Amino acid sequence: MSMGEPIISVKDLKVQRGGAVVLEGVNLDIHEGDFVGLSGPNGSGKSTLLMTIIGELEPAGGSVKVYGARPGSKASQGRIAWVSQAAAQLPTNLRISVRELVDLGAMKPKNLSPFANSRLLDFIDTVLLGSLSYFVIGALSLVGIGRQEQRARVEKAIKLVGLEDVAERDVNRLSGGQKQRAVVARGLATEADVLILDEPLAGVDRASRDDFLRLLERLCKEEGKTLLMVTHDQTAIRQCTHCAICIDGNVQFDDDHTSAPAVLQVESLSIGATYPTSPWNEDAKEEV
Amino acid sequence: MGLGTGLHHLLNHPRFPVLETLGMLMPGEVFPAFFEMEMLQRALIAAVLVTVVAGLFGSYLMLRNLSLIGDGLAHVSFGGVAVGVTLGSVAPLWYALLFSSVASIVIYELQSRDIVAGDTSIAIFLTGMLAFGLVVLRLFGQGITTDIEGYLFGSLVLIDTDSLDLIVMICVIALLGLAVFHRGLLAITVDSVAARVQGLPVHLIGLWFSLTVAWVVVSMVQVIGALLVTALLITPAATGQLVGKSFRGCMMWTQVFGLTSTLLGLFLSAELNTGSGSMIALVAAMLFATVGILKLVSNQLPAFDASPESEEAQG
Repeated sequence: MSMGEPIISVKDLKVQRGGAVVLEGVNLDIHEGDFVGLSGPNGSGKSTLLMTIIGELEPAGGSVKVYGARPGSKASQGRIAWVSQAAAQLPTNLRISVRELVDLGAMKPKNLSPFANSRLLDFIDTVLLGSLSYFVIGALSLVGIGRQEQRARVEKAIKLVGLEDVAERDVNRLSGGQKQRAVVARGLATEADVLILDEPLAGVDRASRDDFLRLLERLCKEEGKTLLMVTHDQTAIRQCTHCAICIDGNVQFDDDHTSAPAVLQVESLSIGATYPTSPWNEDAKEEV
Repeated sequence: MGLGTGLHHLLNHPRFPVLETLGMLMPGEVFPAFFEMEMLQRALIAAVLVTVVAGLFGSYLMLRNLSLIGDGLAHVSFGGVAVGVTLGSVAPLWYALLFSSVASIVIYELQSRDIVAGDTSIAIFLTGMLAFGLVVLRLFGQGITTDIEGYLFGSLVLIDTDSLDLIVMICVIALLGLAVFHRGLLAITVDSVAARVQGLPVHLIGLWFSLTVAWVVVSMVQVIGALLVTALLITPAATGQLVGKSFRGCMMWTQVFGLTSTLLGLFLSAELNTGSGSMIALVAAMLFATVGILKLVSNQLPAFDASPESEEAQG
């Protein structure tokens, strides 16, 4: 299963936040079709790792490659989708129907970069060509060109997560589980191959959780999506094909911040991420 | 001939005098003058356009928890007006435009770079620039004249042809930009991280939005007054949000409540001889209160939202 070049490759990663080292010596390879569960105590750097993989945080050392390119660069853009802790994060005064929300994922700025390797040119390119192409695509979509295909993607995504019946409903009035499905559908509408899910099970009741996990498994097996999910939920971890655990490793202190919180070295991550999860997972698989 | 003058001529075309025809249908003693007298016609055109644009942008401002940025930028605009008036400019709105553009960019960069959290930069600009304007007026100008009061509380007589041209130009630019960016804007409002991962130019859209909001605020200053812009930016959007079920539905209701506020406000201010800006703001607040109470009483207004098909008209 885990063959060929990894889609996401984290090597000897070190990340600092506010001067304190949060991650150090992290290694993680994720291959196509993997369903990786990432677990660990609060503050162990799980979300920091995700943020680095999607390019929101810069590594202080080591490297992160997504499809062989720097996260956030044009070459990797649009190939991963971020599914946040949406149930808690949608503004409460937002009235948006499921279809409208999913439609936001269907927007695609074209990948026009001829300069993907130079940072400066990449920047100029992003600002100029990026906005220009965005403007052109926006204008085209106004007159309906290209919207047909986008609409089809939206409908497909809504159907995949099983929210056809509530597509016109206000997302904030859905249950926790449905809301989470809606946000996953938004990610699916981007047509990214990799979904990165940050605690998708927070605020979701047990029955919905099981439904939701079945959905993720289906996305992985039938739609060929690669999933990386942070969760505290042990049942969820058992559903994954691989698991990685952020645990307290060698405790270090930053030179300048002697009172800084302990650095949590994700020692087992490199092991955990690359071996199929222990026997418990085999049991879980048989049940399914 | 500017955009505003052109629009004015179009609505006053000798063959199809739209405004005059409408005026004949209007109730009240004084109110029909808005459709017949040239000066008040300009005011009416400006007020209606500004209401439409403010409602659209206000909906996003409210969602981005930036309800008070309009207020902040309006105070900055007042600082600009004060400088313009003191320098003897006949079109102080251009100074307001310059001041609020710079302020909006600085506020946006301060916020997006996490240098100053949330509303703090707005608060600093708001008070700082209002104070600057007042000091400049005292030291070098003639203090608070009727004109200056007009910029604070709104004054329809200030809307001359040049102002109308500027207001209409701002509205057209704002609407064109929104037509292209509205989905991206909604995407970064709902979840900016997901939008960035998706490859949308999040920072750029944010910057465009801040800058355009600054211009929209400037276009509102003469109509409703620097102290009252929030009444047309946020209040109708807040009322619409009570009724709508989808984003489009909310936008539609925002327009309904905004235009009702403006037209009813102009009507009442004309008939009762009060300030137009304050009356519009008062009507907007009353509408919010009424709808809010109705909603509390019935707990939910059933099926108030139009179906998607009938909403196609809204962009």
